[in-house]
Amino acid sequence: MEETIKSIVLGLCSGGIYALLAVSYVVIYKSTRVFPFSQAAVLIIGAYIMWYCLIAWSLPIWLGFIITCAGGAILGMFIERAFMRPLVGQPILAPIVVTLCLMLFLRGIGILMGKGDIQGFGESFLPVGAWEVGFLHLPKIQVYAFILCGVLIAALMLFYEKTRTGLGMRVVHEDHVVAQNLGINVKRIFQYSWIISCVIAAIAGMLLGNIQGVGLALDANGLITIAAVLFGGLESFAGAIIAGLAIGILQMLTIAYIAPLLPGETTMMVPFVFLLLILFIKPYGLFGLVRIERL
Amino acid sequence: MNINRPCGTFDRNYFQAKELYRTPLRKVLLALLIVGMYILPLLIGDYGISILTVICAFTIGMLGLQIITGYCGQISIGHAAFMGVGMYTVAILQRHFGFNFWLALPFAGLVPMFIGMMFGLPALRMKGLYLAFATLAAHFVIVYVISNWRSVTNGTDGMWMKRPGTLFGIDFMKDRNYYLLVLTITIFMTYLATNLSRTKLGRSFVAVRDNDIAAEVMGINIAYTKIMAFGVGCFFAGISGALGGAYYEYVNVEWFGLDDSIWYLGFLVVGGFGSIFGAIAGATVWKVMDEFSTLVTPLAETFLGGAAFYASAAFSLVFYSLIIIVFLVYEPRGIAHRWEMIKRSYRLHPFPY
Repeated sequence: MEETIKSIVLGLCSGGIYALLAVSYVVIYKSTRVFPFSQAAVLIIGAYIMWYCLIAWSLPIWLGFIITCAGGAILGMFIERAFMRPLVGQPILAPIVVTLCLMLFLRGIGILMGKGDIQGFGESFLPVGAWEVGFLHLPKIQVYAFILCGVLIAALMLFYEKTRTGLGMRVVHEDHVVAQNLGINVKRIFQYSWIISCVIAAIAGMLLGNIQGVGLALDANGLITIAAVLFGGLESFAGAIIAGLAIGILQMLTIAYIAPLLPGETTMMVPFVFLLLILFIKPYGLFGLVRIERL
Repeated sequence: MNINRPCGTFDRNYFQAKELYRTPLRKVLLALLIVGMYILPLLIGDYGISILTVICAFTIGMLGLQIITGYCGQISIGHAAFMGVGMYTVAILQRHFGFNFWLALPFAGLVPMFIGMMFGLPALRMKGLYLAFATLAAHFVIVYVISNWRSVTNGTDGMWMKRPGTLFGIDFMKDRNYYLLVLTITIFMTYLATNLSRTKLGRSFVAVRDNDIAAEVMGINIAYTKIMAFGVGCFFAGISGALGGAYYEYVNVEWFGLDDSIWYLGFLVVGGFGSIFGAIAGATVWKVMDEFSTLVTPLAETFLGGAAFYASAAFSLVFYSLIIIVFLVYEPRGIAHRWEMIKRSYRLHPFPY
């Protein structure tokens, strides 16, 4: 029982980053109807930019944070302008292949940036140590990362609710043609979506790199998050957040209960088995839109 | 009326309508191509034979993906894993059950076929992107099982495979003879795939790809068709894996990572969707590029020194993905379409269209 509660609390902490990542998938999927597999590799790029800022150039943390965000934004703008815009209106297969190839492209860039090694931040840029609450052992890195993720998601939701651009983006989420007729620049909105999503993914990559070490293996987190996005429903922010936390908990429970029984990388395999189960039982996820089609 | 048909050839009876190749010139050219492929190993060295063997083996796998994705329109991000299942089926049957290659080869097709149909089962309820997720999950689950079921698959250390021994006095341990075997099977499988697109099943594949709701209205059982597409495609993938693995006489789980699955899909785009020629062109381009990147590696070492190790690892990732993206943006219908255009402009020569 104690073990279970421990796993659930730890899972919630690490689930914050998954929730943030899941939101970054949903931002793009909702507005462009393209599923961005490439976000898994944006993690690597974000982590390496932060590593360069802090270790190679020894800049202060706040400047590194800003540069990482700016790098993510430029990357998102570049991807949208160079690769995704020519594919608007193409059949579903073209964007899927392009985002998958972009994932490998960014992975290759990541190899070039990191010279093929796994790098560490040396000292974590978030406070280290842990709080002992009762029998719980809460690493401060995880908790601060969780809080940062929560703040970012809240800021994004506020942006969607309160600003005029956010309103335009919500219109685009509903229907592209209607949005265009209302005088909203849909292409501009697509670009904003990619920028927001890549900034989020870069920040998530930075936080994950802080916990797991900066390397190419980071994109596994992005791939696991795909299961979370599907569980929450592809079109739902609330679903993405809940499912991200759920995947975090699932992962910790896996480490506690399934990993001793099975060999190898169970943390990588169990989310995908979970994904298959979702596809069989509730393919549109918790809050996803069930599309009714007609001829 | 097929616009790509040569001028002046009309069908006067059903037999003519069923013909794959209509004009004598095309029949002669096809015969010359096949004979040329058989004679080619006598003219080129061992290096050329190794490239040709790999191209032939991967052509079969690419045909399988062409059936799943090109004909039936279902996106598979796990094709390399099914190829791996074929490889490991042969290796396991040889190691634990003492089968010879010939006996194991049908199983190399059938086992991936059933696994592929199993992972295609989500097709009962949804389509498009969701099915792509199912195949992505299939990839990870298969790779996990292979790399961790150590007692059967020997884990990440890989397994030895045996090539077929002597049959009818032909020694298949020699690379040249093995190439002829792979070529024969490739021609047979290409023939199967070509004819599949003309059967009831193949036509229902195309109907499901073009509009699955319309196909359902016309009385096609969509779920059955999609699952059959996965089955047939994975059968091809398994055979391809068995032939490729037996060529190296060794299999390893690292040979079919997620990137190989993505390259399968990407180079199918480069070749062209929905045509047999596209699959062959895609496999050829892919494997020729692979050879090219291994040739570049020593060159990179002279220029970059110690940096060459990671630069060559990054080279193929960056370079291939850029090629695929450029093709998708500028020539989404691939080399096959470009080839059709060239043929058409030749037929209509003095006129532009």
